[in-house]
Amino acid sequence: MAGQSADLLQGTLDVLILKALAAGQLHGLGVSRRIEQITGGTFVVRPGSLFPALHRLEEAGWLSSAWDASESNRRAKFYTLTRTGRRQLGEEKARWNRIAGAMARALEA
Amino acid sequence: MKPRLSRFWRNLRHRTRVERDLDEELGAFLDLVTDEKIRAGLNPADARRAALLDLGGVESAKEQVRHVRAGWFVESLVQDLVYAARVLRRTPFFSLTAALSLAIGVGATTAIFTVANGLLLRAAVGVSDPDRLVDIVPSQTGLRPGIVLASYPHYEAIRDRATTLAGTYAYRLELTPLFLKTAGGVEPVFGGAVSLSYFQVLGVPAATGRLFVPADDDVAGGTSAVVLSHLFWTRQFHADPDVVGTTVLLSGRAFTIIGVSAEGFHGTSVTKPDLWIPVAPASPVSATALMIGGRLKPGIARSQASAEIQAIGHSLPADRRSGALPPGAVPGSRDASPSSLRWTVESSSPIPFTLRLLVGGFLALLMGVVSVVLVIACANVSGVLLARAAARRREIAVRRALGAGRRRIVRQLLTETVLLFIIGGAAGLALARLITSLLVSLLPAFPMPIHVSVPLDANVAAFSLALSFVAALLSGLAPARHASKTDVLSALKDDARRPHERLRLRHAFVVAQVAFSIALVVTGGLLVRTVGRASHVDRGFESAGVVTASIDLSLAGYDAAASARFTSTLLERLRAIRGVDVATAANRSPGGPTRVTRGGLRASDTASLDALPVLPNWHVVEPDYFKTLRIPVLQGRDFTPADRESTESVAIVSETTARRVWPGRSAVGQYLVWQPQPGSATVAQPSGSRGFLVVGIVRDLKYRTSIDTTPLDFYVPFQQNPTTSVTILARSADDAQTISHVRALIRSMDPGLPRVTPQLLDTETSGPVETQLRIATAVTASVGLVGLVLAAIGIYGVTAYVVSQRTREIGIRLAMGAHRGTIVGMVLRQGMTLVGIGSIIGLALGLGVGRVLAASPIGAVPLDPAVFAAAAILFAIVGLAACYYPARRAVRVDPISLLRAE
Repeated sequence: MAGQSADLLQGTLDVLILKALAAGQLHGLGVSRRIEQITGGTFVVRPGSLFPALHRLEEAGWLSSAWDASESNRRAKFYTLTRTGRRQLGEEKARWNRIAGAMARALEA
Repeated sequence: MKPRLSRFWRNLRHRTRVERDLDEELGAFLDLVTDEKIRAGLNPADARRAALLDLGGVESAKEQVRHVRAGWFVESLVQDLVYAARVLRRTPFFSLTAALSLAIGVGATTAIFTVANGLLLRAAVGVSDPDRLVDIVPSQTGLRPGIVLASYPHYEAIRDRATTLAGTYAYRLELTPLFLKTAGGVEPVFGGAVSLSYFQVLGVPAATGRLFVPADDDVAGGTSAVVLSHLFWTRQFHADPDVVGTTVLLSGRAFTIIGVSAEGFHGTSVTKPDLWIPVAPASPVSATALMIGGRLKPGIARSQASAEIQAIGHSLPADRRSGALPPGAVPGSRDASPSSLRWTVESSSPIPFTLRLLVGGFLALLMGVVSVVLVIACANVSGVLLARAAARRREIAVRRALGAGRRRIVRQLLTETVLLFIIGGAAGLALARLITSLLVSLLPAFPMPIHVSVPLDANVAAFSLALSFVAALLSGLAPARHASKTDVLSALKDDARRPHERLRLRHAFVVAQVAFSIALVVTGGLLVRTVGRASHVDRGFESAGVVTASIDLSLAGYDAAASARFTSTLLERLRAIRGVDVATAANRSPGGPTRVTRGGLRASDTASLDALPVLPNWHVVEPDYFKTLRIPVLQGRDFTPADRESTESVAIVSETTARRVWPGRSAVGQYLVWQPQPGSATVAQPSGSRGFLVVGIVRDLKYRTSIDTTPLDFYVPFQQNPTTSVTILARSADDAQTISHVRALIRSMDPGLPRVTPQLLDTETSGPVETQLRIATAVTASVGLVGLVLAAIGIYGVTAYVVSQRTREIGIRLAMGAHRGTIVGMVLRQGMTLVGIGSIIGLALGLGVGRVLAASPIGAVPLDPAVFAAAAILFAIVGLAACYYPARRAVRVDPISLLRAE
């Protein structure tokens, strides 16, 4: 799980994937590109980390997958956020906000 | 967790579908990235390559995804096992030898453990809820191991007062020889004397009829109850249920058969009774020399019961009723006042608690020996695995290059080893069964039926499994770690060879194997020599050339006086037989394991009655006893026919007895009298008031039972003290002929006597030490030979490996014109160096073991140089053969094809 300069904190990748999928279904490459886009290029997720994470989240029941046609009309496996996944995203968000707030306060103090 | 579980199931169940799905997903991903790159302006081929680089290896990505999958561990384990099985099948020679070595190692260790488990760690078979059964053990501190026996009052006190026990039982350790009157004559049987509570407390059910209940105490109408063992019922009565309720005559007394015990129950000790009779104060069997056991109440710990029993034991009154050992007591048994005893409650097992240390020590010795074989087997497997790991360097390198982690490779290799060990262990368990029955059959012919029940139970299975697993880890770890360290690049390059480091480890294994095996062979050889010598061991008498036959005349209705007449006539006729040099008779066989004593004796002129009496071992003998057995008469005379019932009571004592009773004085001409019982004013002395006049002193017998070795022997003339049990002893030049003469003679004198089986005294007198020695010898020698075979395989393996590593070099040398002989010599020299180093270490080890054995109770083991030389030569020959074959194979090959093969 490589970032360009920023190391991904434990659990960061999971929450980023969940967030990327919040807007709708995406295939693997789509998830990767979306994360790049929403983090302003700070995080680049390599396939070696992406696919294990996708499978892990699917096994945890937060994602579901289905084969569909891609924008270039190729068959690809698309991932969708499940209901429990959405709830998980909410929890993760709250947690990150708490941590981010605490970190910001800590560093400013 | 539910989705995860269903995933787990899906992943395991539909593996191929899951895998295909992953393949397609990654393929689609590649296509998408390629499309992207093409759109960015790359040509399709470059775009594809760039996409592959992005992915960082399809296989490695797949492997990483597999890791996060539910059930990955199980899946990979199955995968490893399947792969391992395939690898093992591909190299059957290796797999077979390795599994066989392990089977032998595990089998031998498990066999010993099985025996230990059966004798020491579990209660007798056939009882219910054995874990709560306990032995109640009196012991005396400061004494050498021996069995302290309890009396009936002890049993009663514990039975009536113990609150921690749900029930208490007692039984006589020694079986009572009885004679069952049958339609065809008399049948000798062995009876176990047990308390009436015995079967109830043990929870043994009846096969038919009923077993003892406390009410059987009432000996109504003069018949007592008897319970048959299932085995005896089947053998004697053909499992006829109608015998229950019938009355049988046992040694002349009427007994009613009340039932048959359940199949599979053989009593609580290693002895195997044919039937059980009640032991009670009113019973015909003496109620002494008892072992006590009980069943803990639920929730009571052994220590709680122990404390209570100790308190009860302390309060028991001193029991000086007999003041002597009961007749026919167990060797080394002691009857001491209960309050000086320590009473403890121990877990129940067929071997009496105080002897467990002794038996356990012996088994530990055997275990030590067979463990060495297991170590050799492990070294062998380790060595072969190392060689194979070398051969698989490329395979492993390829797998690593494809993205397999190091841990994964180590695990794969370990799985292979574990699989090997599971196969070996299972075979070993089967082998253990065989070895165990062999061990049990090595036990000597005891004078009574023995049942050694050594079941292969869960304990044994767990032991063998754990052993296999540990052995697998030990011998598999080093090679696996070694192999996984493989440097990918150099291994993939064709000429990359770094065999030296690995070879050093293999060489060490071979040296260790040779050393351990040769040490075992030497030890076995030394023990064989010791056994050989032990059969000619000085027991104080010469058993070789003596034929013996024992008869119980009471069976034919003889009384003591009739027995005396019969015996003198028999001897008269026996001495008249041609070829019989000298013949005599006694009440029992000399050198038997049993010591018989009839009470304390002291010198008639000892002033103080408190002086310690001697409790000698009694022998009732006819004249010529000492001549027949070649026991030197040191002073005085032998008994003569003139020592009769009507003449003065005489006796002959051993040197030690003489010294003990009359220190510093001559015993001949002195009188021995019975030690009076405390409190009684007068003592009835046999045949007049003067006691026994000592007429002679003979040399001591030597006792080799490891328990009591003081040679306090006391001989009285048979005609003055006749018994109905008679043992004839005849020395002659032709044993076989004498045996048939004796048989015919006894038959001709009274056809109504039970059949006698004359045999050599040599075969009869085999004590427990000899038995242990024989077992130890058999085990050590056979494991030594097994070790030899394993070592040969090891030497062969390492030589073959060295040769295969040097194939190119050998080819070049041959092509350059080197003599084949030179090359064979070179290979041999290398192999034999290892054998030589191993042999030297092994011989030194053997010498050390010999020294240790010499200091042990087994006695002086001769450090026979012939044994060492023979072992060294044996290993040199085997080593040469094991090196020669691979060497010859190497030079047989055509040099051109050798070089081309590279």
